Amino acid sequence: MASVAASAPERRRRRFDLRKQPGFGFMAALCLLVLYAPIMVLIAYSFNETRSVSQWQGFSLDWYVKAFANKEIQEAAWNSLQIALVATVIATVCATMAALATTRTRPWRGMTTSYMVVNLPLMVPEIVTAIATLIFFALLYAALGISFGIGNLMIAHAVFCVPFAYLPIRARLEDMDRTLEQAAADLYATPWQTFRRVTLPLMMPGVTAGATLAFVVSFDDFTITLMLAGPGQTTLPIYIWTSLRRGISPEINAMSSILLVISVILVTASFLLGRRRK
Amino acid sequence: MKRYLGIAAAAVLLGAGPALADGQLHIYNWGDYTNPALLEKFTAETGIEVTLDDYDSNETMLAKVRAGNSGYDVVVPTDYIVKVMIDDGLLAETRPDQMANFKNVEPLWADPPFDPGRHYSVPWQWGTTAFAVDTAIYSGDINTWAILFDPPDELKGKINMQPSQDEVFNAALRYMGKPLCNSNPEDLKAMYDMLVNAKQYWRTMDYGMIDTMVAGDTAASHGWNGAAMRTRLQRPTVQYAYPKEGFPVWMDNVVVLADAPNMENAKILQNFLMDPENAALISDYAKYANAIAGSGAFMPPEFAEAPEIKMPEWAEPLGEFTLVCDQSVVERYSQLWTNLLK
Repeated sequence: MASVAASAPERRRRRFDLRKQPGFGFMAALCLLVLYAPIMVLIAYSFNETRSVSQWQGFSLDWYVKAFANKEIQEAAWNSLQIALVATVIATVCATMAALATTRTRPWRGMTTSYMVVNLPLMVPEIVTAIATLIFFALLYAALGISFGIGNLMIAHAVFCVPFAYLPIRARLEDMDRTLEQAAADLYATPWQTFRRVTLPLMMPGVTAGATLAFVVSFDDFTITLMLAGPGQTTLPIYIWTSLRRGISPEINAMSSILLVISVILVTASFLLGRRRK
Repeated sequence: MKRYLGIAAAAVLLGAGPALADGQLHIYNWGDYTNPALLEKFTAETGIEVTLDDYDSNETMLAKVRAGNSGYDVVVPTDYIVKVMIDDGLLAETRPDQMANFKNVEPLWADPPFDPGRHYSVPWQWGTTAFAVDTAIYSGDINTWAILFDPPDELKGKINMQPSQDEVFNAALRYMGKPLCNSNPEDLKAMYDMLVNAKQYWRTMDYGMIDTMVAGDTAASHGWNGAAMRTRLQRPTVQYAYPKEGFPVWMDNVVVLADAPNMENAKILQNFLMDPENAALISDYAKYANAIAGSGAFMPPEFAEAPEIKMPEWAEPLGEFTLVCDQSVVERYSQLWTNLLK
């Protein structure tokens, strides 16, 4: 009797399996094609021999050599790297503290509100954040004469990177077995010792995943950076965008491919780290 | 940090310029538009360290400058934006017309409508927006907008248009002999009907003309003179038109911001850019004409004398700077444009 009862929902589940519906394979293939074919074309033409981005003339690595030798690109890459590293550190520290405060405490007044505020940058249109931040820094300078130079960009990036770091860390904390922390407390570990020796090592995969995601989001950011960047603060995405007016050249394809590869590697790393269990 | 080390290292290696740099200069220009050799020459001659950043549109630049404290000294707005910036008090009155090298500015460009007498701006580059025709396909007179709107049989179905509302409508209004920035419903109705009919002859709407024209997919293409020249170099039968009904001229100009942190250095740059040898470096990179007499001597003749770059004298009175239309006209244009593209 029990085995029959168990197999009925089992059968039903199989019948409603989306992947078994007619046309699923076709639709999936079509979606993947629409999403990724343009990117594949972009990468392919970065290896084109001539300046054309529509007619294939032969294989060459010239555009990569050109891109790497371009001084403006080098400076833009260095700016992107500095900003992303600093923003990642700030965002990850804030996100870790926020994740601990929203999972490892007794529910407190305003916890849901805090959760929403932390994740607000995901919801607010980026152009709104960009213009608001531009005005904020302009007013800050006009009123108090304060400007942090490239620090302005780092602060702005840290703010919108927080939710990207926060979500994987929180997910990790929620998955963790709390009895281990309770056991540590039972054995007279101080709260700090418990955090340092038990919680932190266990949550590390989540922290690393969050940090990697924050880095990618900062490294790829366009709208906010375009509005905020001051003299000598051009980043790679800005450089690529502003070069487009004079036509798409394979050099831009080459740079875009490099950006893409870096992002894919980091996102994959973030995914694998986040999935890793103790 | 690395940049300053790099510049210091370059200065030591070149052995040129003073040992101590005389301050800085922050330039904000269109992307892929500034010759690195030009800035190196400026630093070598003056000892001023230069940073260069790029923008994608006049609007981006204007938004940052209007917010204040952009940190930039020099920007390069297009003609009508120069006027907007002067009117809004965003520019410093640096009086380029009293600078030593002003005598080199070609008379045609010395007193432009957007900056009468050039009290604020120095020419960077200028160009025209008309169209190119492959004369191997059609050998008749090409100097009329009829090529795009009422084409000869040979060109039907082989035309590329710029996907720009302003460029297409202004060209259409010029072709019909109507005023630009037009809000007269009858004129607009006539223009719209004319375009709906012309549309059947168009093959593509794309900013890029070079690849498709060289490949022979299109035989006439609406676009910029610099692109037309690059097309001709790969397909010699291509010829650039100067339509007799008139055509738009654009000019980007070097101006100094009112809140520039390095005002004196910015003025030095303005004067530097009116020197023929330096102006030649500008054109050598982006391949558009500068407005400095004598710069042709420092450029390859095939470029300086190219028919697309050197406007023939008879065409000079036909070129006009673009006007900024009223908001109501812009909105009406947008509706018509959306309908036209349906």
